[in-house]
Amino acid sequence: MAYISAYQYYENGGVAPTDSNWGSYQYVSLFDIVNNFMLMYQGNHSLVNNEPRYKILFHAKRGIQELNYDAFKEVKILELDVCDNLRFILPPDYVNWVRISMYKNGTLYPLSENIQTNWSDAYLQDNDCNILFDEDGNVLKPEESKLDLDRVTGQKKSIYLNQNSQFDGMEGYCYDGCWYFDYTLGSRFGLNTETANINPTFSIDRKGGVINFSSGMAGELCVLEYVSDGMESGDNSKITVNKLFEDYIYAYIEYAILNSKLGVQEYVVNRARRRKTALLRNAKIRLSNIHPSRLLMNLRGQNKWLK
Amino acid sequence: MINSVRNTVLAILNKNNYGYISPSDFNLFAKQAQMDIFEDYFTTYNYYVNKENARQSGTGYADIKKGMEEVIDYFSLEKDLTHDAANKFFLPSPTTTGEDYYFINKVIVVTSKAEAENVSNKNITMLTNSLLTSPTDLFPAYSQEGNFIYLYPNTINTQGDVRAQYIRYPKDPKWTYVSLSGGEPSFDQSQPDFQDFELPLDDENNLVNKILQYAGMSIREIQTVQFAQAEEQIDSNELK
Repeated sequence: MAYISAYQYYENGGVAPTDSNWGSYQYVSLFDIVNNFMLMYQGNHSLVNNEPRYKILFHAKRGIQELNYDAFKEVKILELDVCDNLRFILPPDYVNWVRISMYKNGTLYPLSENIQTNWSDAYLQDNDCNILFDEDGNVLKPEESKLDLDRVTGQKKSIYLNQNSQFDGMEGYCYDGCWYFDYTLGSRFGLNTETANINPTFSIDRKGGVINFSSGMAGELCVLEYVSDGMESGDNSKITVNKLFEDYIYAYIEYAILNSKLGVQEYVVNRARRRKTALLRNAKIRLSNIHPSRLLMNLRGQNKWLK
Repeated sequence: MINSVRNTVLAILNKNNYGYISPSDFNLFAKQAQMDIFEDYFTTYNYYVNKENARQSGTGYADIKKGMEEVIDYFSLEKDLTHDAANKFFLPSPTTTGEDYYFINKVIVVTSKAEAENVSNKNITMLTNSLLTSPTDLFPAYSQEGNFIYLYPNTINTQGDVRAQYIRYPKDPKWTYVSLSGGEPSFDQSQPDFQDFELPLDDENNLVNKILQYAGMSIREIQTVQFAQAEEQIDSNELK
């Protein structure tokens, strides 16, 4: 791609959306990556030879996907209302979540992932617990499992110390301003810090493509921070890689091809692998932005007294 | 060059009274010889690429591969492909582009300025079904079937969308003449169907040798064939 003028950069040449080129110089496009690789790393006198372009494209995209999962640190954020069904449908380009928060009263409250499940499938059974089938032999299912129904109606108790806590409403003893409870089975000493959170909880049904919340999220605003694979819904013209990772992508493609090619000497494959790994390490260090001035700011706090 | 080649061939044939070949026979042998040498360019080019990979080739004047590229590129053309229907385009042919092609080097989609990749019929279905690599405007592909190519994505479907750079066949050489009173043909390059060889001058020896081989076979003179083959072998060894 050609370099663009300042007017093109700031105003997109006067064409809407005018902000489409902002920050674009940080990135190199997928087209450029494939084109450059075919020109510079593939040919009669190169390690990679006689490989079709679609293989280069495949490995380039796979490399970009891998980078998007962790190294890029490019988090997408989506805000949606959670209705009474306590469900948040995952965005179309969702791969994994980073943080899920409730936005309330101008503050983001980070939510905890419930260590227990809060959703379930169910089969219909008769009084003897036999599973019921239809005439085609398919198992019959209720519209909602008891677990789901209880959660949505707010009857499901939670092990978290929020509004659905199993201790909420229990009789206890107030001694010296603190509440103490009896346990029906066994006993516990101290606080279970893992579940000591007042915010609503969530659990992700990956196959179902939804986030299920505890009943405390009904009517609240949810902010999902997530990572995608950078494939931009299949629009090749929008797929880009941070320039800090450009050399790594070339090395990744070269390694991926050499590694799967018959007759390539093992030392050549190993050399490509080491080059790829080293370049990834370098790019990650560069992207982490460790500046002396920022370190200095942190070190200034080293003598601060903690109470 | 064609007259010079013919004179040399006739001189060798007549020297020992081996025989004489008519202009029409000569034209047939000349076409055959030119095709032989033309096809050898590609195998020779590959030979020198391999030599270069083995670090047995030099640069500058010793860069024989570069010379071969120049010779082949003399036959290079870039033309629009004629649209047939949907994503189907005609391959170059005398009726569409004006000449037959020997080798399609690249196919360019004009609208996106992207080069379409040749994908075998075995792979094209899988490729179009692939999520990551299905052909797009940026990375188009084509497959070949009969006299047609099929462009993907199939939105490439309009006349003027596709150009091809290809290597054409050399034109058939034709030694043209006027008949003199004694029936002796005299070379006349002003005839409308005159066509000289299209090979470079340094292939004149090869042309003579090839034509001699065919002529020797024609007049059943084994010595002529052997002589020409020996000459060809010497030339070939010199190149290596």
